[in-house]
Amino acid sequence: MAPPAQSQRSPSPSQPSGKGEVSDLKMQLRQLAGSRAPGTDDTKRELFKKVISYMTIGIDVSSVFSEMVMCSATSDIVLKKMCYLYVGNYAKHNPDLALLTINFLQRDCKDEDPMIRGLALRSLCSLGVANLVEYLVGPLGNGLKDGNSYVRMVAAVGVLKLYHISASTCVDADFPALLKHLMLKDKDAQVVANCLTSLQEIWTLEASKSEEAAREREALLSKPVIYYFLNRIKEFNEWAQCIVLELVSKYVPSDSDEIFDIMNLLEDRLQHANGAVVLASIKVFLHMTLSMTDVHQQVYERIKAPLLTLVSSGSPEQSYAVLSHLHLLVMRAPFIFSSDYKHFYCQYNEPFYVKKLKLEMLTAVANESNTYEIVTELCEYVANVDIPMARESIRAVGKIALQQYDVNAIVDRLLQFLEMEKEHVTAETLVLVKDLLRKYPQWSHDCIAVVGNISSKNVQEPKAKAALIWMLGEYAQDMQDSPYILENLIENWDEEHSAEVRLHLLTAVMKCFLRRPPETKKALGAALAAGIADFHQDVHDRALFYYRLLQHDVTVAESIVNPPKQAVSVFADTQSSEIKDRIFDEFNSLSVVYQKPSYMFTDKEYRGPFAFSEELGNLSIGTEPADNVVAAQVVEANDKDLLLSTSEKEESQGYGNNGSAYSAPSYNASTTGASQGQLDLVSLDQPSTVHPTASFAIDELLGLGMPAAPSPAPLPSALLLNAKATIDPNAFQQKWRQLPVSLSQDISIDPRGVAAMTNPQALPQHMQGHSIHCIASGGQAPNFKFFFFAQKAEDSSVYLVECIINSSSCKVQLKIKADDQSTSEAFSELFQSALSKFVLP
Amino acid sequence: MAGAASALFLLDIKGRVLVWRDYRGDVSAIQAERFFTKLIEKEGDPESQDPVVYDNGITYMFIQHNNVYLMTASRQNCNAASLLLFLHRVVDVFKHYFEELEEESLRDNFVVVYELLDEIMDFGYPQYTEAKILSEFIKTDAYRMEVAQRPPMAVTNAVSWRSEGIRYKKNEVFLDVVESVNILVNSNGQIIRSDVVGALKMRTYLSGMPECKLGLNDRVLLEAQGRATKGKAIDLDDIKFHQCVRLARFENDRTISFIPPDGSFDLMTYRLSTQVKPLIWVEAQIERHSRSRIEIMIKARSQFKERSTATNVEIELPVLMLPIQMFEYMLRAEFRLPSIQSDESAAERKAPVRVKFEIPFSGIQVRYLKIIEKSGYQALPWVRYITMAGEYELRLM
Repeated sequence: MAPPAQSQRSPSPSQPSGKGEVSDLKMQLRQLAGSRAPGTDDTKRELFKKVISYMTIGIDVSSVFSEMVMCSATSDIVLKKMCYLYVGNYAKHNPDLALLTINFLQRDCKDEDPMIRGLALRSLCSLGVANLVEYLVGPLGNGLKDGNSYVRMVAAVGVLKLYHISASTCVDADFPALLKHLMLKDKDAQVVANCLTSLQEIWTLEASKSEEAAREREALLSKPVIYYFLNRIKEFNEWAQCIVLELVSKYVPSDSDEIFDIMNLLEDRLQHANGAVVLASIKVFLHMTLSMTDVHQQVYERIKAPLLTLVSSGSPEQSYAVLSHLHLLVMRAPFIFSSDYKHFYCQYNEPFYVKKLKLEMLTAVANESNTYEIVTELCEYVANVDIPMARESIRAVGKIALQQYDVNAIVDRLLQFLEMEKEHVTAETLVLVKDLLRKYPQWSHDCIAVVGNISSKNVQEPKAKAALIWMLGEYAQDMQDSPYILENLIENWDEEHSAEVRLHLLTAVMKCFLRRPPETKKALGAALAAGIADFHQDVHDRALFYYRLLQHDVTVAESIVNPPKQAVSVFADTQSSEIKDRIFDEFNSLSVVYQKPSYMFTDKEYRGPFAFSEELGNLSIGTEPADNVVAAQVVEANDKDLLLSTSEKEESQGYGNNGSAYSAPSYNASTTGASQGQLDLVSLDQPSTVHPTASFAIDELLGLGMPAAPSPAPLPSALLLNAKATIDPNAFQQKWRQLPVSLSQDISIDPRGVAAMTNPQALPQHMQGHSIHCIASGGQAPNFKFFFFAQKAEDSSVYLVECIINSSSCKVQLKIKADDQSTSEAFSELFQSALSKFVLP
Repeated sequence: MAGAASALFLLDIKGRVLVWRDYRGDVSAIQAERFFTKLIEKEGDPESQDPVVYDNGITYMFIQHNNVYLMTASRQNCNAASLLLFLHRVVDVFKHYFEELEEESLRDNFVVVYELLDEIMDFGYPQYTEAKILSEFIKTDAYRMEVAQRPPMAVTNAVSWRSEGIRYKKNEVFLDVVESVNILVNSNGQIIRSDVVGALKMRTYLSGMPECKLGLNDRVLLEAQGRATKGKAIDLDDIKFHQCVRLARFENDRTISFIPPDGSFDLMTYRLSTQVKPLIWVEAQIERHSRSRIEIMIKARSQFKERSTATNVEIELPVLMLPIQMFEYMLRAEFRLPSIQSDESAAERKAPVRVKFEIPFSGIQVRYLKIIEKSGYQALPWVRYITMAGEYELRLM
């Protein structure tokens, strides 16, 4: 029985003729099914390969299913594998066919060859057909007890697969308990690792349904389990080490000795060749030392070298992932890389995505001592490299300018860019010059001189055009040609496609008119007419608004459109501290790359093990030991109002500056352009005190029933606090993590109390007198952050408070978490009264 | 490792799926292909080329190798660094099997590719990615295989990177010390960055379970041993070892001891951030007289010791390439370019001068490499030193 020779039509896998081929195959396979002739296996292999390659290129070969199964009764492992592959591919969509294979897979699960047992079991579990789960339980149970570790390794993951097909079957068969047993006993490290991953997933998903599972999930983080894994860490392969380290990073050690023990044990992991292991270890180090400020700083020192090596060696993709993490770290601790800035200089051949992150790093690490070098380097990119890179570099220069005290030299550089007379350079630079002027009006003279020379014809990009127009309006007084340039632009109103530009044009011409009426009158008339006729709603409305305003009273118009401006001290940060903390919590994951916590980009059902759900997230305490820097960002992040300005702007700008760079990649102040014109109209004379009410009024206006106005407080029914309450920082941290925010308030301190506020270090002692105990504090003028703790006298329920004080703006932000939420309002009253006594004794 | 991958794709240069393995059944190949082809179509838009991209609930991470893209898809919050690295390991595995990873080699080896995809990851979690271990139970030349395939011995071994029972007639070790010099000189001729990234690359052909010990001119070690260090010792900055090296031992007494994997691997990598004098210095001036005439003045000078010679020196200029074997060289050249309408923006894209070279010496010195195996054979260690240009860039004036 000679095997049929190659098909006459010589099927080339890339261009199969389709059905005929498949039925040919079917026939040939059928002939071979029962054959025991020598060489049969070789022929079968050829045929199987053909089937597989058809399948791969998308030809439906499901019709040979039964023949394939018949032919796979062989001891040839390659044939088996191909058959498993084939079966796995078609069973999912043809449950009827799957039933056919169950028998033969079950038989193979008992094969004497462990390889076949393992493979069969893996295929069996991968079929993923719900009505077959009953057939999985037996083989899986045997697999977990198999003498060969390969089979156990497959079975451990198999349990998880079963869980995803039918959770109840998996739990009813008591597989999680078996896995746990195996995890803690098995000799083979990969079996242990697979048990761990499976259990993590299973218990995380089960936790919402059963308390026992929730307990089990917590038990994974218990000391004995963690130590068990730590002691075996070197046995695991690199990927499994990552999983173990991720688990350890969630563990909360009971005291500092334990923390040091764990860090000593893991120290050498920082030298592992696998970058993922290094990052995972770093996560452990960072998270464990959160409550130990000094050690935390030392950790930053220790991890610096390995991180920098990871950036400069290895693939660009690795650099990308690592740089994202560096960026996160540098946001929390700007000092760590400030002397290593040269590592972030761009190489010509690096991919753009790496260069972009490096630019962000350069922006973030810039400080007084290295700014000159960094800006010089950035200027080279502007002149030399390709257009997207030049643009990013200009933006980086601008961002640095916005965050430095001494911008003198940088402004010169920016102005030089304008002289390069390249369209894209001019465009980017204009946008930045505009932002710069909003923050440092004192530079207007120099800037205007240069900007005045730019022909508006050379500026085509809407953002740049809008920026130029804004300057023409804002500095109409100083720019001689301003009315005429505007007039020219208005003449071409119809050709202006961008509504943003047209909006700016309206505002600018309005401002110009109020300063130089005779010269601008004509242009204003034309602009208002064109604006009112505009099809774009916002443009139309604004034109109409200006028109009515002018009709009503020109002086009022002047005071609304053109009031004396105060400089913007800090541009609003787009991310709240909560979110940043959440990202830090998810260190070494996509969250860091996306700069978003995972709940923003994953569906609930797909969240990984231990991904924090919303109610668990608030790890604000985590930021505390990272001291003043972070505290400053926190405050700043809450200054939601883009134009909020403080009179002591130079002072309050201090540390906050790095925060403004955080929104880095897409950050561009002018993206808010459309609304910005509106906001420009509002001037807050005493922003610090007016602000809360003002924002409340706006909220009301918008129909947002915001909790800004505290609901009438329940009578401060004798809430008594335990004067001797204690809690250790770790317990506090854990508690803070668990409890939701029950009350969050912004309060303003009586400005007369500023004096007391300049020395808030005395606050803890004062609060102690009111039975409110300070757990941690940090910060530097003007931003201070405190964590307080108090306990009810009658039962032991506790209150946790995060209190952020800005001594220059006299603002206090309170965040209260409580065991007993119903009394948090009363507690807040108590807290505030204690605080006010500190301010005005 | 926070999350699992859903699927692994191998795609051709246009982004069409060649082979894929569905691990968790929650992503669709059609959707992935549609997304990815669109992504790479957008050439010239560098923004979209990030190796991690998000689309419609799914994160795609990809790398390119030759004319093949390797991509994972996932719905969970995965560990980006780990998965990207994993993809590179997959490339290594394929290279081990097919010599080179490219579309053709994948098409020719569908079956082995599937087998490999089945073993390197299970339900989205990376398993074994060492080619040596995988090749114990996945054979390319399965046809000629007489012996039954066994699950990897290494799995049951404490030494997961090496299996027992390896035999060689001639026991040899090759050790290449490869240092690449990265240097960046700005347009004012200042060295703004320089460092050296080194690697000890090993190829071992040793029987049994050999114990290796390596001694280097590591300053910390030499000083600890009280030896004189007359400027010859080296400060190793950030060392990373292959997983076979006993790190605790190194932490203790700086001894590098290990049982090596079979075949080639990187024993250790390190970085020296000490300022080095640029080994080759190039000054170039380019003057553009007209659209078709360009004058280039290049001065190149070698600055290493006379007993060394550089080979494969190439100086790459933005306009042309000069292959040279040189010591001190000066070149003045005038080029008449075909009269191209040189457009303004292209002319402005001034690429830096890039230099390539190899010099047979290195800062780090191997003092000894001892190999001890219980059978007592004598193994021959071969050591070779190469310093070469890494990112060696000198920006034009």
